[in-house]
Amino acid sequence: MAAEAKARAASPESGNGEGKPGKRNVCAVVLALAALASALLFTTLLACGVGSYPTTPGQTLRALAQAAGVSLGAPVDADLAAVVVDIRLARVLLAGMTGAALSVAGAAFQGVLRNPLADAFTLGVSGGAAFGASMGIISGVAGAAALAGDVRALPVCALAGALAALALVLLLARAGGPLSGLRRETLVLAGIVVSTFLSALISLLKSLDEESVSSIVFWIMGSFQGRGFEHVALAWPYMLVGAGIVFWRARELDLLSLGETQARMLGLEAGRSRLWLLFGASLLAGASVAVSGVIGFVGLVVPHLARLMLGAGHRRLLPASALLGALLLIWSDVLARTVLPRGAELPVGVVTALVGGPFFCLLLARNFRLAGRGAGRG
Amino acid sequence: MARTDADTSPARIARLPVIGTHMRPNVEAVLARKPDLVLQMAGRKEASLPVEALRRRGVPVAVFRAETFAELFSVIQRVGVLTGSEKRAEAMVRDMKKRLAALDARMAKAAKRPRVFYEVRSPDMLAAGDGGIVDEIVRHAGGVNCVADAPGKFARVSEEEIIRLAPEVYIIQRGPMNQTPLPLDKRPRLAVIPAARTGRAWFVDEKKYARPGRQSVDAAEELARLLHPELFPATARAAAAAPNKDGK
Repeated sequence: MAAEAKARAASPESGNGEGKPGKRNVCAVVLALAALASALLFTTLLACGVGSYPTTPGQTLRALAQAAGVSLGAPVDADLAAVVVDIRLARVLLAGMTGAALSVAGAAFQGVLRNPLADAFTLGVSGGAAFGASMGIISGVAGAAALAGDVRALPVCALAGALAALALVLLLARAGGPLSGLRRETLVLAGIVVSTFLSALISLLKSLDEESVSSIVFWIMGSFQGRGFEHVALAWPYMLVGAGIVFWRARELDLLSLGETQARMLGLEAGRSRLWLLFGASLLAGASVAVSGVIGFVGLVVPHLARLMLGAGHRRLLPASALLGALLLIWSDVLARTVLPRGAELPVGVVTALVGGPFFCLLLARNFRLAGRGAGRG
Repeated sequence: MARTDADTSPARIARLPVIGTHMRPNVEAVLARKPDLVLQMAGRKEASLPVEALRRRGVPVAVFRAETFAELFSVIQRVGVLTGSEKRAEAMVRDMKKRLAALDARMAKAAKRPRVFYEVRSPDMLAAGDGGIVDEIVRHAGGVNCVADAPGKFARVSEEEIIRLAPEVYIIQRGPMNQTPLPLDKRPRLAVIPAARTGRAWFVDEKKYARPGRQSVDAAEELARLLHPELFPATARAAAAAPNKDGK
């Protein structure tokens, strides 16, 4: 894509410029972010134009304009408007929001824990959300509410599960000493323990109630199928609060990723700052799982990609991750809903894993090569 | 003499002991009953392994496939032979065929065959494909399954595809596969399909429609009354319409 090429061209100036905001540097960053943002706009228009219902680009544009209250020629018929706006646009918005939320959460987790493998999975947050949703399905609470036309119950179960899992992970990690003195491995280890335990509990729920298996599997396998504006409306407040917390503390993320001692020497109250960031990132990740199920790889890969483009400073890394994550997930969802015939769909989590896995390998290989060259020169 | 967890019809078999679920039958529990014959429905790989184990231990096992009316008839006849009640099986098949033929004759007078969408599961949308018993039930009931060229029992479809298919009738099965489906008028994105605009949407019982058996003929007759009330005398209509009208 042109936008990515442009962004990559901008990266040499900014690639290792942590914390020294030269004029050219800032310009390059702004340019790259603007390029990503325009790619996002373009992507939204394109993604609203593809699907199993036949639409021409002209009809798509007219339907979108009509929904925005602008008339471009003759009004489109109701079927077409419903497909383009209520189904496709809603999905594109939701996929974009979720991609951005997962990526920002991933960047925050990686920064706080100073661990390139950290994300909502390794911390047990995704597992907690999935477990919360499964409990909702089995207990019939959410099922009954859904029958009454209320989609809110299940996501609330998922979000509660996510936050409970985070609390559990923190408690576990704390058993080894005060939080501010934590070593970075402890939290990830505690996260993996909790997440493994929760996935065993989900398997238990599934085998106790065979009839709910398909509902649970559908929920856990990430997908935007059957989602609409009601899910957008449900997720955005949590995501906004979560993103607000993380973006507000972007500078603290920079300090934290230097390490505990340095951060404290530079005057940061590391323990509290870390708690806030973990809470914000968990809100983001939990709200994502709540409306779209578990979608892997986005939170892991996108921050690395963004770091490659714009460097590790979080004030540029976070917005770049958000934009890239939105782009990646929107395109993955387009693939997920168009590759099979007759409008059959793949779970989008499968697409992100299939695309993200090899891509991550490429990134790793490239990093090794660069590191090797750097060592040779030095 | 024993059943799986999911076999609850007819009512008199409900008090029989359970030997596990249809997905995971328990070999020990089956052997403990010392059966002369084990019947199993084909098509579930994970369930066929335990049954292989039974066969190796010398228990006679008959595996059947009944996904169309023709297969259903031959299964009934073969079970009749295996259990020594050929006569009853023959009579049952004859009766079912007669009722279907009568229904076909009545539906031949239909002015128009509505396009029917049969929802197997939601929100992870699964529709009846054109290769299963449901497809045949719809046809005998004087309708056309609007999900075409989808061989097999099920077809995955998206909401967008449903709008493209523009079904005139929307049938939602309710049962183990679709435990808490929303009525059509609670699904804003499908409000544009003809079935939603005319209110021709109904809930039906999954066990009656999607499980091939004697009740499949009942299902065809019931659906015919929903699709073509004009072809039934008023008295019969009143008797049949009541239980599933809440799908509207």
